[in-house]
Amino acid sequence: MGIKFQNVTKTFGGVSVVDDLSLEINDGEFVVLLGPSGCGKTTTLRMLAGLETVTSGDIYIDGERINDVPTQHRDLAMVFQSYALYPHMTIAENIGYPLRVRKVQKAERLERVSRVAAMLEIESLLERKPRQLSGGERQRVALARAIVREPRAYLMDEPLSNLDARLRVQMRGELKRLQHQLGTTTIYVTHDQAEAMTLASRVAVMKKGRLQQFDTPMNIYNHPANRFVAEFVGSPSMNFIEGEVEAGTFVSDSLRIPLNADQLRKLSGQSRWTMGIRPEHIQVLAEPYDGAIAATVYVTELMGNETFVFLSVGANRLIARAPADFRAELESKVWLQLAIEKVHFFPQRREDAKKE
Amino acid sequence: MIKNLRYVLLLPALVFALAPVYWMLTISLKTEVDQFASPPPWFVFTPTLQHYYDAFVTRAFGQYLITSAVVAVTSTACALVIGTAAAYGLARFQLPWRLNRRLSLWILSTRMFPAIVTAVPLFLMMRDVRLLNTRASLIIVYTAFNLPFVVWMMHGFFADLPRDLEEAALVDGDSRLGALVRVVLPLVAPGLAATAVFCLIVSWNEFLFALVLTQTDAAMTLPVGIAGRVTQYEIKWGVMSAAASVAIVPILVFALALQKYLVRGLSLGAVKG
Repeated sequence: MGIKFQNVTKTFGGVSVVDDLSLEINDGEFVVLLGPSGCGKTTTLRMLAGLETVTSGDIYIDGERINDVPTQHRDLAMVFQSYALYPHMTIAENIGYPLRVRKVQKAERLERVSRVAAMLEIESLLERKPRQLSGGERQRVALARAIVREPRAYLMDEPLSNLDARLRVQMRGELKRLQHQLGTTTIYVTHDQAEAMTLASRVAVMKKGRLQQFDTPMNIYNHPANRFVAEFVGSPSMNFIEGEVEAGTFVSDSLRIPLNADQLRKLSGQSRWTMGIRPEHIQVLAEPYDGAIAATVYVTELMGNETFVFLSVGANRLIARAPADFRAELESKVWLQLAIEKVHFFPQRREDAKKE
Repeated sequence: MIKNLRYVLLLPALVFALAPVYWMLTISLKTEVDQFASPPPWFVFTPTLQHYYDAFVTRAFGQYLITSAVVAVTSTACALVIGTAAAYGLARFQLPWRLNRRLSLWILSTRMFPAIVTAVPLFLMMRDVRLLNTRASLIIVYTAFNLPFVVWMMHGFFADLPRDLEEAALVDGDSRLGALVRVVLPLVAPGLAATAVFCLIVSWNEFLFALVLTQTDAAMTLPVGIAGRVTQYEIKWGVMSAAASVAIVPILVFALALQKYLVRGLSLGAVKG
């Protein structure tokens, strides 16, 4: 079902937590709200659920303005970060609760509960109480309670953040399959960019209550709208180099990078820029090479399948991805080749310059 | 060894607490001659049930017992229903002008002056609405007297309960009231039980208002009835002890039945988890 936020603002005691948010989500989409803690993503979700009031602006579901519709009549299902399972009810009663309050007949209720339980492979837990379950099992029960009926949309508030790393990856895959299977609009809040990239059909990146970019994961990664998005998405993070454009070359300390005509055209009108380059677009070479940049190895981290190389180039620090078999002594000299067509330029703000 | 020492230390406390109860029980079973014997027969005497017969058959103590039970149970139920609703409102809804805090303190402040201050005004009010010598008057007064306690106790239990659970119930399609009944109240049941026990004990033992507001056998509660055996000419120790011994029983049974909840209820909020 289509969901639309129109100029939505939420203030708590004079402080804007969500600031003039406009967002249009299509039917069947899996949209991830991504941002650091305090960026307003959870508040956005809670406003959609009706658990927070909207200070100004409108929220629509299927064209119907729902600002004043009480939570219980919005027909949404939500998975809470804490799972919020009812401790005094068995798992079967927990999953059946949304049906019970809708006065679904007992026979049908049991039938639907067992169907959902089978889907999520938790049939054997139905008679237990939530406190007897592991984190992963509780997570599945919370999901089951959400999908036992057919709501207009699923809202998920960091549903995987309380699981251990291995289980998180596994549940991530299962969530994606589940959403694909059900085809229901899903809005998912997380601060984990890996979850956002893998799950979303579109990602909304937020910072301090403001929407930074709303696009597909590929576009978010390859064409970040601003430095914040570029820095927040991708691991290890994008490298940033403060510098100036002088006579067709990007200059920063000892670093000199010749630019092509296309880039120069975009950079005209301002001389101070921040260059961004992802670690995978820096190639580390052991031998000097024509046009290569000399650098010193600061430290290397072997990840198993690849190596992160931390480098010093004059006053600049860079991270590069290298193959797993890359070996270099600390403080040894290496040469870098930058994939110049892949670099990003962001206008330098005063606060960035101060940070450096 | 250490374990035994613990019991040795507990013994004086136990003796201290139970000695009056023992004294009351033995008096209720002694003949009048034994009651006044000197030195008193501590353990060995010929027991008699004469005083129990006197109290509950000859005199109206059975009637007092019923009145006490009706008043205590009804006022406890009223205080729980009204107080729980008030506490839930104060714990969960943000009121304007910092009313949450102000109302809470105001409710508490009604317990800050001595109860006897209200005795005369209450007597006059009850006389004007023609409720003197009725159970209703005591039910109303006890409910009002217990309300602040219920509100404060339950407020604490509600505040400790994660909001997520009610929010989940709302999103699942339940109404506020439905979420309260189906999710919140079952989870604060230990707190409700503990609060109920305290209210019941207070109402059951209350003496001052009962004395002021009721004078007839039909409306008199046990404590007033017992005290009424101290007369100008004689003090009926046997009858008083017999009635008092019986008066202990209901509270004892109730507290034992709810003991599991009582301990949990009292420690709830003290330890998170």
